[in-house]
Amino acid sequence: MRLLFVSRLDRSARAVAAITRFAAIGKRLGHEVAVFGEPRQDFESVPHSVDVNAFDFALFVVYEAWDFPELPHLAHLLDRMPKERRVIVDCTGTYNETITVEHDSNHLEQLNGHQGWEWVEGFDAVAKKVLQPTLTPLRNDVGSFLLFGYDPLAVARPYRSAQEASKAWSARGDAGKPHGIVYVGHNWQRWTQLRRFFEAVEPLKDRLGPIQLRGWAWDQRPDWAVEHGFAGVDVDPDLLKRLGVEVGGPIPFDEVIEWQGRARFCPIFHRPLFNQLGLVTNRTFETFCSDTIPLLMLPHALVGAIYGRDALPLAPGDDVRGRLEDMMRRPEVYWDAVLKTRDHLAARHSYERRFEELVAALES
Amino acid sequence: MNILFIMDRRANAGSIQAIASYVRAGDDLGHTIALYGHPDAKYAGIRWSTDFGMFDHVVFVCEFGLGWMSGLRMSRILSQVPRGKRAVLDADGMYNPIVSVDGYDRNHHNDGSRVFWGAHCDALTDKIFQPTREPIQASVIPVPFYGYDSALRLEPGSRPKRFDIVHVGHNWWRWREVSTSLLPAIERIRRHLDGIGFVGLWWDMIPAGAREQNLEIAFGFDTEWFRRLSIEVKPAVPFTDVVSAMSEGRVNIMTQRPLFRRLKLLTAKYFEIFCADTIPLVMLDPDHAESVYGPCGRELALHGDISDKLLDAIQKPDKYQQIVEEVRRHLGAHHSYHNRTHDLVEALRA
Repeated sequence: MRLLFVSRLDRSARAVAAITRFAAIGKRLGHEVAVFGEPRQDFESVPHSVDVNAFDFALFVVYEAWDFPELPHLAHLLDRMPKERRVIVDCTGTYNETITVEHDSNHLEQLNGHQGWEWVEGFDAVAKKVLQPTLTPLRNDVGSFLLFGYDPLAVARPYRSAQEASKAWSARGDAGKPHGIVYVGHNWQRWTQLRRFFEAVEPLKDRLGPIQLRGWAWDQRPDWAVEHGFAGVDVDPDLLKRLGVEVGGPIPFDEVIEWQGRARFCPIFHRPLFNQLGLVTNRTFETFCSDTIPLLMLPHALVGAIYGRDALPLAPGDDVRGRLEDMMRRPEVYWDAVLKTRDHLAARHSYERRFEELVAALES
Repeated sequence: MNILFIMDRRANAGSIQAIASYVRAGDDLGHTIALYGHPDAKYAGIRWSTDFGMFDHVVFVCEFGLGWMSGLRMSRILSQVPRGKRAVLDADGMYNPIVSVDGYDRNHHNDGSRVFWGAHCDALTDKIFQPTREPIQASVIPVPFYGYDSALRLEPGSRPKRFDIVHVGHNWWRWREVSTSLLPAIERIRRHLDGIGFVGLWWDMIPAGAREQNLEIAFGFDTEWFRRLSIEVKPAVPFTDVVSAMSEGRVNIMTQRPLFRRLKLLTAKYFEIFCADTIPLVMLDPDHAESVYGPCGRELALHGDISDKLLDAIQKPDKYQQIVEEVRRHLGAHHSYHNRTHDLVEALRA
């Protein structure tokens, strides 16, 4: 299959990790994968192309309106790739009625100027088929395609046993981990959950070790959000200061696995909207490549459906503090869950499987 | 002819008033004119549609930014509207070489911006309109676009006068003229004046993101000076309230961006101000004022001794009302939206 991705690549946001893996793994599997556009120096390993006719399908990976190319490139693309061979992967569930959860929504008109109908009618105009990275699309005419996957070859430290993993994880001093908790992700519709999480772990902070938040706008609310009263990019610097949380800028996509491995624990949060729609992200899978214990701060049903039953101990539910204490007391038990979950992800959610699913979806 | 406008709709800025006037004029003349979108109560008097098949032509009304022409929006339009049916109204003179006025106001901050703009328009259409009689580019078609809508007229005495002087407009590339000409002139005669109001955005703050876009210079202001002159800053009003807000002043002052004066680009404000129950004084050179408003327009140009003219207008309202009425007659005859609709239909047919 010759597959042309259409999306705006950013080194620390959205689907960049998945698209680059599709390019690399696709080549290994005998597919030709490229990203629409001129070659970019900051993505030397990712083939780019504007030769639209050389591809079988254009796969639009859309988070925001600007994931579509601008003019004149947009006209070039639409003129050369028939609608029947254009497919959209709708990563934020915009191809639905307007859904609002807390202050999160699939149609943030105040932010991007597009009303709900424009997303739906726009997608209808562009593509014959819309896919969403959820197991449970709301619309009958939307297909399920998770897009993001797990790459066993990217695992930082592939342990042979839970005992070996637990021993390495529990090391102290220079061999130990410099951080107790690291969260890599942008300040975007996650603060309500992070606040609850931080308040829960506060009594453990001296035992956990340093906490680090890496991503965009964790130091303060951006001016534009303040000016327009835009919720969803909230943060409480006083709380972070009290916990001694270090904040820093985004981590490039190709350094995330290593960076997360500097911490004993890495929580996985999804936006409230994503939790409601069951949408998965790159981090859903990639965190299991890091040398850390993932904390699945996700709906119980999603944990079971995506990660399998063996992952359930990694989901603290409402007892974050109690579960972390137990993880520190009995790490081997939880590393056993991590390793079994890695096996499950490798069997069910590898990029090889994603290619098979995508081919089936495109050719159906 | 059925015409669908597409624009970055803003209730308190841009060309939305003009669209409402085109809808009315179109109805009078047997044309169906609408704005792209679904009905929205914030925009009284606008007809809405998303059905491209109903329209003979689509006109993109473009101002400074193109961010609203997202790929999502444009994909649908490009898929359903043939190129020959599309036109662009370049309201801000962006489809030009770089034009910089005294190193201050400019249409593009660099050549990349100019090329981007040009490529955008060229990808859409062969028909680029500008609201000026004197386009720089031979390929640009002059279409005055903005006009005088007598239906918006407020009768004398319909609003109480809260101010001697009102300025309605956003602070966008206006500070140099305001700070070097207008405020010094007001300062000289302040003790003879009652209230002064500036209505609009950014007279007391710089919007978020301006610094990052190297646009801080476009939003200069001096809160302390305003306070010393007892100038009241009021928030922007929606287009439906603009004429009413202007009518709270005995005198209204119209400023225009230096770039717009250089390119002689018309805006909605040129005409809205004559719908208000006020004495409009326009900061244009007299020849320019005459070219739009007729011979009497020279009398309303704030040029040279601004202090004297302001005082004269406030102290001799009857004299100025006669001049204003004469200008209104000129505007009704030459710049009505019936005329504008006819001009636009012809330009689209050509």
